[in-house]
Amino acid sequence: MLPAPRPSRLESARVRTRRARELTRETLRNPLTLGGLIIVAAFLLMAACAPLLTAANMPDAYQMPRDWQAIDAPPGTPGHPLGTTSTGGDVRYGIIWGSRMSLQLSLLVVGIAVVVGVTVGSLAAFVGGKVDEILMRTVDVFLAIPELIFALAIAAVLGTSFTNIILALAAVFWVKYARIIRGQIIHVKQNEYVDAARVIGDSKLSIYRRDVLPNSVTPVVVQATLDMGTVVLIGASLSFIGLAESGLAEWGVLVSEGQAGVISGKWWVSTFAGLAIFLWALAFNLLGDGLRDVFDPRSERR
Amino acid sequence: MQVRQYVIRRLLVLPLIMIGVSIIVFALTRFSGSPIGIYQHSEMSQEQVAELAARYHLDDPVPVQYVYWLKGALSGDLGWSGVSVAPVLDVIPVKLTATLELAIAAGLVAVLLGIALGTIAGARKDRLPDHAVRLFAISGASLPVFWFGLLLLIPLYVSWGLFPLGRSDPALFDEIVHVTGMYTVDSLLNLNLAAFVDALWHLALPAITLGYATTAIIARMMRSSMVDEVREDYVDAARAKGLSERLVIRRHARRNALVPTVTVIGLSFGFLLQGTVVVELIFRWPGLGQWVTSAILAGDQATVMAYVLITSLVFLLVNLLVDVAYAYLDRRVVLGA
Repeated sequence: MLPAPRPSRLESARVRTRRARELTRETLRNPLTLGGLIIVAAFLLMAACAPLLTAANMPDAYQMPRDWQAIDAPPGTPGHPLGTTSTGGDVRYGIIWGSRMSLQLSLLVVGIAVVVGVTVGSLAAFVGGKVDEILMRTVDVFLAIPELIFALAIAAVLGTSFTNIILALAAVFWVKYARIIRGQIIHVKQNEYVDAARVIGDSKLSIYRRDVLPNSVTPVVVQATLDMGTVVLIGASLSFIGLAESGLAEWGVLVSEGQAGVISGKWWVSTFAGLAIFLWALAFNLLGDGLRDVFDPRSERR
Repeated sequence: MQVRQYVIRRLLVLPLIMIGVSIIVFALTRFSGSPIGIYQHSEMSQEQVAELAARYHLDDPVPVQYVYWLKGALSGDLGWSGVSVAPVLDVIPVKLTATLELAIAAGLVAVLLGIALGTIAGARKDRLPDHAVRLFAISGASLPVFWFGLLLLIPLYVSWGLFPLGRSDPALFDEIVHVTGMYTVDSLLNLNLAAFVDALWHLALPAITLGYATTAIIARMMRSSMVDEVREDYVDAARAKGLSERLVIRRHARRNALVPTVTVIGLSFGFLLQGTVVVELIFRWPGLGQWVTSAILAGDQATVMAYVLITSLVFLLVNLLVDVAYAYLDRRVVLGA
């Protein structure tokens, strides 16, 4: 008997969209996940509409505007609903424009980390042998240094700037993805459909692209969602320590600038900026948890 | 594989990983330029600077410099700490014990509280305690440590003055003989109750701040493995025997649920170690974290290098311990597989 013909591209695309719709529906049934999604959407909207919410500071919108008439103004001051810093920076401005910084930070870091990690992990799993051994021992070394500490060392070497924080975090975060994808691929490769593709005579690359990779990426998607939050948490820690330019409209910098004032009772700068970081991380954690519940067949919700 | 063989093999791999770590960090620090700035001063002539560079092999290629560094490190010379104005190796014990005291205190709180909360939540899945613990856990994982510290400081230190900053009241610790370097332990060894209370009082807020995130991680893991265990047949069997629900949960389900939780405890120790950096800054705790941040801002490479090595070593050792504990807890585990 002849084997059943392979589904055409169009057909498999249709199956995939249907499956994606099912998964979306299931994900959104959990109110916590939905809550996370709403917060994420709100932040995205805030980042997109930043110039409409507060007029951009000229010439550099990512520098805090200075109002020397209102230094250390408490929340509720006219023109400064969330108060100002000790150098007259408007806290509301910092939070709104800071959302763009966080978005940039997390998208770039997670993007670079996923691409590098998936490439390295796939190479290790697909080529195997010595290449696998060398790559994975390197990964072990990277994993021996706690994330924040490693990023701290790299950012320190590169010099204090927000761009360098992004580079430092990307250099640290890819390792996890290499591990995850390697494990997944080795597991997926044992499936019969991979053998079948090999028997048909598909090339290694096309097996990887059509059969192995699409079936290995879900844990990467979950991890990437969670990391969108973690990256901002760790990035904010780094700028809190003093590795970003001062005066930047960025949440970690704001918490750091407010810290000195906290001792003398000026609580608002650090409190509001920290709240923004917390909500951002919370939203992506809720979303990531929800995705894991839906994607993981062993998960308790089923 | 036997547990002993496995431990020996891991201990043999450990130095290799540490050498890997040192190569990465050394390359990194040298990438930022020569560390000569820390050793020279403005009145030195060109020749003197060159002589200085030659004396510390700073004019050699980087790989050669690394070999010199490694030779020195193996004979106990980790360089000169510019920020502490002392040899790195002399400073490390003082700073490390301060940080370890903080991390261990936070870890103890986190393990006890995390396991307790996770057990309660997992045993009462989808009821009020479960929702409360889940909320607690997910907030803990999203909370910026430095922000949480400030939130605690604002009322408890600034407004009401209930808790102090720093590590101890120097007047009380004047005559304490430091045996371990951990103030709580030392004051007990000196049988000085007032000093012990003072040490605990200083330790409380930073330890709580640092421990919250880890408590959350442990509670989350414990909850989900409790949920899995409670559904197993042996739990029904225990109930059918007529055991009280309390005993069923405590003796049977919790014991098995602990097994996967233990691995998380090891990994979260890395979380604790990196958390100390910001916690020490906020609470003025004179440990490794404060030391390394000042070193980074001053460009003191020897200190940064030593710091990364020490934390990685502690992290690796803790994870080795945890893996061994895991093997003892669960006989089904095949080590090294």
